[in-house]
Amino acid sequence: MAQDDPLSVTFAALADPTRRAILARLAEGEATVGELAEPFDVSLPAISKHLKVLQRAGLVEQGRQAQWRPCRLRPQPLQEVAAWMAQYREFIGQSYDRLDDYLQELQQDREKEEGK
Amino acid sequence: MGSETTTVTTEGTELVMERVFNAPRELVWAAFTEAEHVRRWWGPKGTTVTVVEMDVRPGGTWRYVTHGPDGQDAPFKGEYLEVVPNERIVRTFVFDVEPFNDHSAVETLTFEDLGGRTKVSTRSRYSSREALDGALAAGMEQGATETYDRLADILTELTTGLN
Repeated sequence: MAQDDPLSVTFAALADPTRRAILARLAEGEATVGELAEPFDVSLPAISKHLKVLQRAGLVEQGRQAQWRPCRLRPQPLQEVAAWMAQYREFIGQSYDRLDDYLQELQQDREKEEGK
Repeated sequence: MGSETTTVTTEGTELVMERVFNAPRELVWAAFTEAEHVRRWWGPKGTTVTVVEMDVRPGGTWRYVTHGPDGQDAPFKGEYLEVVPNERIVRTFVFDVEPFNDHSAVETLTFEDLGGRTKVSTRSRYSSREALDGALAAGMEQGATETYDRLADILTELTTGLN
């Protein structure tokens, strides 16, 4: 199943604005589930559910020892996403450079024909 | 030589690339939608491309194969979801090699007439096949872009911080 491959799981996890906001908060440092829930108008269980999705995608890990079990960000899957995007961007960017040249060529040819 | 560059921003999981071409809109549209033109520019520097098929209408498919300088072929394909002549193309983009062909980006190309020049905006949203099927079922409603979203910053921070 496509859903099993890591990049798909990561993108699916990122597809939700609450989860992206949770990641944005964790990018600033560790936080407990309670702290993560604070800015949102949703219940603690709802936040836990989002955290589970993020954990499955390997984007968040939760400490074991302390009783408040702080969550922290795991950046590796995000780097895969960034790499995919960078590759695609490079592909399109280089194509457009070539298109730019080609359009100039096309227009010069047209002008020549009209000048005849 | 063109002096323009492509500007790139990210919004959520969407990549936005804008480029102004020094050519009228009809010509730029033709360059994207006619095989004889596409084969002259599509693909990274140093590659050539074969346009296997392009059926530019909703539900039509496209298939290109790029040929690298090392003799390597790379197939790409997708489906046209929306076509508004001279204005807008929405299509899927798949790199047709395992395991990448499980992924799809939805590209929305818009062509803006700047009076002799043309701005092409390319918005690309990556999705898994499931996510894409969901989007199609929902009538390609992309909705408003999240303003709440700091993902672009996170990605930049993380990739620069950990290299």
